[in-house]
Amino acid sequence: MATWNRRRVLAAGAAAAAWGAAPAVRAAHPARRYRTAVIGPGWWGRNILKEAIAAGRAQVVGLCDPDPNVVEVAADQVADLCGDTPKPYADFRELLEQSKPEVVIVASPDHWHALQTIAALKAGAHVYVEKPTGHTVRESRAMVKAAREAGRVVQVGLHRRVGPHHASAMRFLKEGGAGTVGMVRLFAHYGGGAERPAPNGDPPEGMDWDLYCGPAPKRPFNRRIHPGGFRQFLDFANGQLGDWGVHWLDQVMMWADGASPRRVYSTGGRPVRGAPVLTDREQTTDAPDHQVAVYEFDAFTCVWEHRQFAANQAEKHGIGAYFYGSKGTLHLGWRDGWTFYPANAKGGQVLHEDAQLQEPDGHNLKLLWADFLAAIDTGSAPAAGIERAHRSSVLPLLGMLSLKIGRSLRWDGEKEEIVGDPEANALLARPYRAPWTYPA
Amino acid sequence: MSLARSPLSRWALAAWAFAGLAAPPAVTAADWPCWRGPKRNGVSDETDWLDRWPAEGPPVAWKASVGTGYSSFAVAGGRVFTLGNTDHTDTVFCLDAETGKLLWSHAYPADLGDRFFAGGPTSTPTVDGDRVFTLGRWGDCFCFEAATGKVIWTKNVATETGIRVPGWGFSGSPLVHGDRLVLNVGEAGLALEKATGRRVWLSGNQEAGYSTPLPVPRGDGWDILLGSGKAYLAVDVATGKERWRIRWVTQYGCNAADPVVDGDRVFISTGYGKGGVLLRSGDGPEPEVIWRGKVLATQMSPSVLIDGHLYGADGDTGKQGPLKCVVFATGEERWAHPGFGTGAVTAAAGRLIALSERGELMVAPATPKGFAPTARAQVLGGQCWTVPVLAHGRLFCRNAEGDVVCLDVRKP
Repeated sequence: MATWNRRRVLAAGAAAAAWGAAPAVRAAHPARRYRTAVIGPGWWGRNILKEAIAAGRAQVVGLCDPDPNVVEVAADQVADLCGDTPKPYADFRELLEQSKPEVVIVASPDHWHALQTIAALKAGAHVYVEKPTGHTVRESRAMVKAAREAGRVVQVGLHRRVGPHHASAMRFLKEGGAGTVGMVRLFAHYGGGAERPAPNGDPPEGMDWDLYCGPAPKRPFNRRIHPGGFRQFLDFANGQLGDWGVHWLDQVMMWADGASPRRVYSTGGRPVRGAPVLTDREQTTDAPDHQVAVYEFDAFTCVWEHRQFAANQAEKHGIGAYFYGSKGTLHLGWRDGWTFYPANAKGGQVLHEDAQLQEPDGHNLKLLWADFLAAIDTGSAPAAGIERAHRSSVLPLLGMLSLKIGRSLRWDGEKEEIVGDPEANALLARPYRAPWTYPA
Repeated sequence: MSLARSPLSRWALAAWAFAGLAAPPAVTAADWPCWRGPKRNGVSDETDWLDRWPAEGPPVAWKASVGTGYSSFAVAGGRVFTLGNTDHTDTVFCLDAETGKLLWSHAYPADLGDRFFAGGPTSTPTVDGDRVFTLGRWGDCFCFEAATGKVIWTKNVATETGIRVPGWGFSGSPLVHGDRLVLNVGEAGLALEKATGRRVWLSGNQEAGYSTPLPVPRGDGWDILLGSGKAYLAVDVATGKERWRIRWVTQYGCNAADPVVDGDRVFISTGYGKGGVLLRSGDGPEPEVIWRGKVLATQMSPSVLIDGHLYGADGDTGKQGPLKCVVFATGEERWAHPGFGTGAVTAAAGRLIALSERGELMVAPATPKGFAPTARAQVLGGQCWTVPVLAHGRLFCRNAEGDVVCLDVRKP
């Protein structure tokens, strides 16, 4: 353990030194502040915005959310942190037109990512957009196209791409530390139980609920959705696979250098939470309470599983990725860092590296934001640029598609088409509610 | 303030002076009839209690299970009252304070409401003479006969007024003031006749905050301080008319902690990184800011003020923040005891009684010199956000799951 780990620690130190050197790179460029705006400045949007402010390169000019209460809280925080007085907006089109931002953070629910990112790019801004890229595959593809056409930087919030313990685990794998990896298992397990419907009600004061729903079907307002609950509603997001799954699938893509699966199959349901409810009076969430998705790659098999019941006390870890290799199992986790369990329990040595995260929320946004600024300043490729993030985001979207249609999909990663299944192919996009138009 | 501006104001003064006196008499010295106690400051007058005990803790008088929730305890006339939720049913419990025996209970349907927390009732019953008042998160308001649990009156205040229910439901405990029952419902409170539940005044249909209405005397009457959805404000209890406000925007509208008052100075603090402000309230609509800072961010249970120092939990749940001592007048930090989490603090006889978020009970002298517990014990597991209550030498503690433990801290 000692030798290998010391080496890793030194390497991590070198990485930190490299980040420390970033200002020198910037010094070659005018270190000016960018007119920065946030669409969706809720809990996570503000986490990103805090890093933008902390980096000293943001002049916060606009905050946009269909719920004015969200904007008010964010504006209060901005005033506290840097004294800027951003203009409040409900509609992102007005924000882009009036505030003329150079950098836009898109942290709205998933169903808005594509339209807002594309509009911001067309308005000439660089975009930091939350993961996954799109809500359906073709949205994500349209975001790639828009970024290319605009010639602007798009960074996607896959902060595990730059997290120090993730980077060192990748080096460990690529250097053959786990031997030949033939299978990967990704998982996020939590406790939970039956879900009772919650009564529908009035949206918060002043909220434009119709605009929140936007291109998604309009449903009655419910506190379970907003604020902060949209991830478990499939009209607005893609459940655990779209939220947690994309991070771990992205790690697999980093390790496998963007390889594409040739077949995807998923199953799951809500036996514990109960059947989804949506009436005029009340509703529940509708994302699956457990799910298995199998991704068949040429050189390995990747399995995703999540549960929102039972947690995972029977094993050592509740969240993360197991890379199973000929030499043993690497667990790549969250707050528990990474740990390598050798195949031969008697002869081998357990190796471990702690996580280095920003608390309280356990992320590495500071590093990802610095990387975004460096890409804008120097033209370097962003760590979680739209092309890579698109390929990673397609995976959970295909998993959800298979779950929905109930059969396995043969995937042509080159053409981005499901082979020989027109019905499934149609689900790579979805109908938009008027007046919104699906992006081309 | 002129006291003799008109015959009406003189009458009002007389009425409220009388009302102010009328509330306490039914309560004996060591009763704790409501949230934050008889003085509404979280500090008890009890002096004769054990502040040292063996490692396993003081003797357990009794235990009970009351269902999910964060309701604290009202103790009066040998009875202890609290609330909990089981199977989407709220239950009002009246237990024998000595034995924990169930004297009566009253159940009514109520959603658990476990959005971002364990759910269940978050307010505390209020005893007023032979009556007890409760308010559920979805607006179910009750007046019971304290001895029997007979319902004197009940209504759903949200349904009746059409006032919107804030995200986490109504969380402030009912305040009995004179012949009124004041609730943190609506933008700036709702007052009912305590005898009948009939409405006296009503405020705007905007979101309430989560604090308990706090009465403070004013030259010619009483103000009620409230955490509203986007402000802390003071209203005249007689009329419901707003006296002052400070705009105070906290994430999720979570203006939850009661203000801490000393004369005309009012300390307000909320969580989610917002922090606190010390105000001086005058006659104008906007109080003067004395200091403002992030030294003490109270997400839920308010601090206690002892000899010019605030003692309270700093930071949000899940972050295991410290218990702090902060100078009231200046906002200077005196000490921080790490790992306390969003526990809660009460005090008696110059000593803090602090229950950490993880259920560790500690007693320590309330001094700016440092936090040096004279006694500590793990009295509960699970999540403890609810403030413990000391009354008649008994210490009542609970966790979110509804495990109640009554500790005997009487001196032998």
